[in-house]
Amino acid sequence: MKAISIKNLNKYFHDPVEFQVLKDISFDVNKGEFVSIIGKSGSGKSTLLYLLSTMDTKYDGNIIINDTRVTGLKQNQLAKFRNEQIGFVFQFHFLLPEFTVLDNVMLPALKLKKKSKDEIEAEAIELLYLLGLKGQEHKKASKISGGQQQRVAISRALINSPSIIMGDEPTGNLDSKNTQIVFDVFRELAKERGQTIIAVTHDDEFAANCDRIIELSDGKLISQ
Amino acid sequence: MNTNQRIAKVHLTSRFRQLLVAILSVSFGISMYIAMNSFMAGVNNIQTQITFTAMAHIKIYNDLPANVEPILPIPKDSNTVLMVNNARNIQYTQGIKNADAIKNDILNMPEITGVALQLNQNVFIRNGVSKTSASLSGIETVNENALFQTSEYIIEGDISELDKRSDGIILGTGLARTIGVNTGNTISITTSDDVSKTFKVIGLIESGNKGADKTRALISIQTARQLFSKNKSYATDVLVNTNNYNNARLVSEKISKLTDYKVESWQEGNAQLVSSSLLRDILAIAVSLTILIVAGFGIYNIMNMTVNEKIKEIAILKAMGFNGKDIIEIFLTQSVAIGLIGGLIGLVLGNIIVQILDSVPFNIATLTTLPVDYKLRDYILAFLFGVIITLIAGYLPSRKASKVDPVEILRG
Repeated sequence: MKAISIKNLNKYFHDPVEFQVLKDISFDVNKGEFVSIIGKSGSGKSTLLYLLSTMDTKYDGNIIINDTRVTGLKQNQLAKFRNEQIGFVFQFHFLLPEFTVLDNVMLPALKLKKKSKDEIEAEAIELLYLLGLKGQEHKKASKISGGQQQRVAISRALINSPSIIMGDEPTGNLDSKNTQIVFDVFRELAKERGQTIIAVTHDDEFAANCDRIIELSDGKLISQ
Repeated sequence: MNTNQRIAKVHLTSRFRQLLVAILSVSFGISMYIAMNSFMAGVNNIQTQITFTAMAHIKIYNDLPANVEPILPIPKDSNTVLMVNNARNIQYTQGIKNADAIKNDILNMPEITGVALQLNQNVFIRNGVSKTSASLSGIETVNENALFQTSEYIIEGDISELDKRSDGIILGTGLARTIGVNTGNTISITTSDDVSKTFKVIGLIESGNKGADKTRALISIQTARQLFSKNKSYATDVLVNTNNYNNARLVSEKISKLTDYKVESWQEGNAQLVSSSLLRDILAIAVSLTILIVAGFGIYNIMNMTVNEKIKEIAILKAMGFNGKDIIEIFLTQSVAIGLIGGLIGLVLGNIIVQILDSVPFNIATLTTLPVDYKLRDYILAFLFGVIITLIAGYLPSRKASKVDPVEILRG
């Protein structure tokens, strides 16, 4: 079972000068795999992740996620697809600072509208408890610590039970203790819920503990 | 409340001061729109009111024929020369001999609210050695009063006295001063046909128009007919009021089918009044719309700032699966809320300003306070314009927000 399948991916930056960031990249990721993408700065790993996330659509090649060919879909279709299938965790938490922790977690589910508000709220609270955030639900997102904010961001990524969770250096801003917590959560999600996890990381220890490492160098795939 | 509206609400309430400024700018624009238009309408009303104290909506009189028939036909062959020396357009009849018949005809029309006959002539008024010319009006006291509320301007005496004594005369205050008479004095009147008659001053009239008050003299129409040796139904002017002075022109066209005499609506003779009230309206609308548009720029500015400030959040929302339409809805909801709240406050504020204007003392002519008019139409239009302008001002930044590329923003 393939969660993600990409073929002959090429990506260019045109500004300020023409530059090929990704060179003919092809690989598959199976369902339930915990994959990390590593490489030096400028190797194109983040760019690759943003292509996979369907947010960046300017590329040549094919991306198939959960048997849906996302290449060529319209922006609004992609927004709906992301909402249902993909959870994203950024290096910086990127929470909405004026909303409470609970609201931040609930928003993607409220947008999806598959469940009632009460069900969503119950699930969000359950997720927050799972990530050790009991008692923080009704605080403003800007009023909790960095490590807590990152865990809220992870809860938000999980609320719609997406089949794929993507992280752009999800632990890049965290101390070792919090890194361990985040890693354990990912590990458990992959193992117990069968969710596919793809994380871009600089952290060699983090990468070493994954199921598989994809390494990029100068836009080329050098090992997988 | 759906998710997008909830987000809009949080955005609005988390920036209370900005919200207040935006709402106030809309309120200010709308209230100024209402105040300007109410004031201008009030000024226009008072203007027409003053105008129609001395002037009827429609006047019928015996004019010189407009088309002069040539005395000799124009010769057809080119060898004949036509010479007519000193040709004149002579008026063979003066005044209207059967004014009562015309009056009865007109009174049958549904648009007509009143008709009054007048006999106007220029005369000399003499009091001992002081003498002056005056325009003497023979009036039907009851009808005249119905048309022009003449009795309100009589400052001494009573208009109905004119009917009771055939030697009674009411003079304009300026005229009375010129010849040095008061109520109770006698004066003598000489017509252009050199007929003299003695009258007793039984009252004074002051209409506010100084020029008119210096020449005006009123007697009853029967006395006037006697004085000028005219028949019983004679009048020089038939004055007609309609139920709506703006329609006077239409009604005058209808009346001219009934009679051969000249029928003139007030607009024909007073283009300056029509144009000045139109100009005031244009000015009021231009100024108030400008204020509303400036308020619109204020909202545009605030919404633009909000979008720039929240560009990261917009990117996050998009990354989570909110599409362009959701983003437009979120930001448009905010400007609509500003427009509606600001609009409602503006309506109340506008009404308060109008009431304040209404109580500002202003003692000129017959006015005691500034003239204003309360018209529902102004309030509805102000609200409508306000909401439309906030919609446009809010839509442009929202569309910009909907086009935010999350990749660009989130990758930094």
